[in-house]
Amino acid sequence: MHHNPITIENLSYAYPDGTEALHQIDLSIHATERVALVGANGSGKSTLLQHFNGLIIPQQGTVTVGELPIAPQTLTKIRNFVGLVFQNPDDQLFMPTVWEDITFGPMNQGLRGGCLVDRAFVAMQSVGLDPNIYSTRSANNLSGGEKKRVAIAGVLAMQPQILILDEPSAQLDPRSRRQLIHLLDSLPLTQLIATHDLDLALELCDRTIVLNHGQIVYDGQTERIMSNADLLEEYALEMPLSYSRPYCLLDHAPAA
Amino acid sequence: MLLHIGAFRLDVDSERRSPWHDLIPSTRVLCTVLMVFAIALTPNGHWKTWGIYGLGIITLALFSQVTFGSLAKRVGVEFSFIGVVLLGTLFQRSGEVIWQWGWLQVTTVGLTTLGSVALKMLLSLTMVNILILTTPIPALLQAISTLRVPPLLVAIMASMYRYIAVLTDEFQSMRRAALSRNLMNSRKTQRLVIGNMFGSLFIRTYDRGERVHQAMLARGYTGLFPQAEIPKGSWRDGIAITGFATLAIVGQLFYIQGR
Repeated sequence: MHHNPITIENLSYAYPDGTEALHQIDLSIHATERVALVGANGSGKSTLLQHFNGLIIPQQGTVTVGELPIAPQTLTKIRNFVGLVFQNPDDQLFMPTVWEDITFGPMNQGLRGGCLVDRAFVAMQSVGLDPNIYSTRSANNLSGGEKKRVAIAGVLAMQPQILILDEPSAQLDPRSRRQLIHLLDSLPLTQLIATHDLDLALELCDRTIVLNHGQIVYDGQTERIMSNADLLEEYALEMPLSYSRPYCLLDHAPAA
Repeated sequence: MLLHIGAFRLDVDSERRSPWHDLIPSTRVLCTVLMVFAIALTPNGHWKTWGIYGLGIITLALFSQVTFGSLAKRVGVEFSFIGVVLLGTLFQRSGEVIWQWGWLQVTTVGLTTLGSVALKMLLSLTMVNILILTTPIPALLQAISTLRVPPLLVAIMASMYRYIAVLTDEFQSMRRAALSRNLMNSRKTQRLVIGNMFGSLFIRTYDRGERVHQAMLARGYTGLFPQAEIPKGSWRDGIAITGFATLAIVGQLFYIQGR
């Protein structure tokens, strides 16, 4: 793995109507680092994420993935290097069966035969999906948690070095969310997680980046920002539940 | 195919074991195309030829163990749609007039044309539906791409197949939202609401299409779907293609003799 998988310098991006989505972003993510990207709705998180995978080509500034700058001629290599898991799995799963969806990425990489089967098996097992049960199933008839796993497996099957997740815990029930946290914790990849779930960020990431109106307003230790209620409120965020009260059960609450 | 949205599983008989199921999907597609062409290219009025083909198709239906109820229902629905279009062929100027009402007249030529086209349609639909009932859609798509159908066309069909379910889901969720707010009480508002739903459905699916395309690009899609490994045929496939070709030729021999 490259020691410095992502470097962003002076990145700015404006929508066609002129609205500025990102403003002079400077950022560097190191190998195997797990970084949370938080911010209010419309703060530019998804726009920034799409730059990592080359879905958006930088208008101003540079995004370097490994040693490759994002440009039309490097996109194939960059997309093999960076795996992007979308917020809504329905947007990502489009092949008729789970197996075909998971093998879609590796087949685009040119894999066939036994290698392809092995890759898909390992990816499915790593997200806790039994290939014998799920391979032939249609993605339409899966639960939200299962769809999310299939979406992650489809990206893992490409063996990326960086995993980028957009709102991974959205639409998940508590058990599926817990399983997802365990899964992400067990993956030895560089991870960038855009989320509103600050408890998940606190549990998984040592480093947090806060975006506000397209600018990085905080980049540092997760625990420091999560324990600063005033700063969080200023950026339309709230302290994680685990920080918001110093007891777990109501019985343990201090007498009023 | 699009008419069966409600019963979304199209290949209800694909798990059965039969000589037809032992053939690789591309052989099944080839046999079907061969039969449909033989049926469709026979000129009007050659009933014996279609009789031969009909016998062949009935034998195939028995061999392939298709559920006759499903087959009849599907052929019935599709035939009723096409039947309406075919009705126009009944009214022709040439031939002996059998029945007349004002300028509207039914002639012997009109009857022969309608009967011939309807029979061609019935036989072709039965053959195609046997194929769809017994072959999973992904295998069918792969089969047509191995038969050199342009990959972009196959990609469009694959996306369409996937999006039938997405479209019905989106429509059902809008319908539920409308019902929950009592918007379907009167027939007048019902039409208005359904009209608006279709507009909204177009915008939603367009947006979703954009997002799906981005997700495909993110996984290395370069404009063409990757091809899976092609299953290899056996002696059975050779026999099946020879059998269907022989049936087509025998039918045509009856046609040539009857000229």
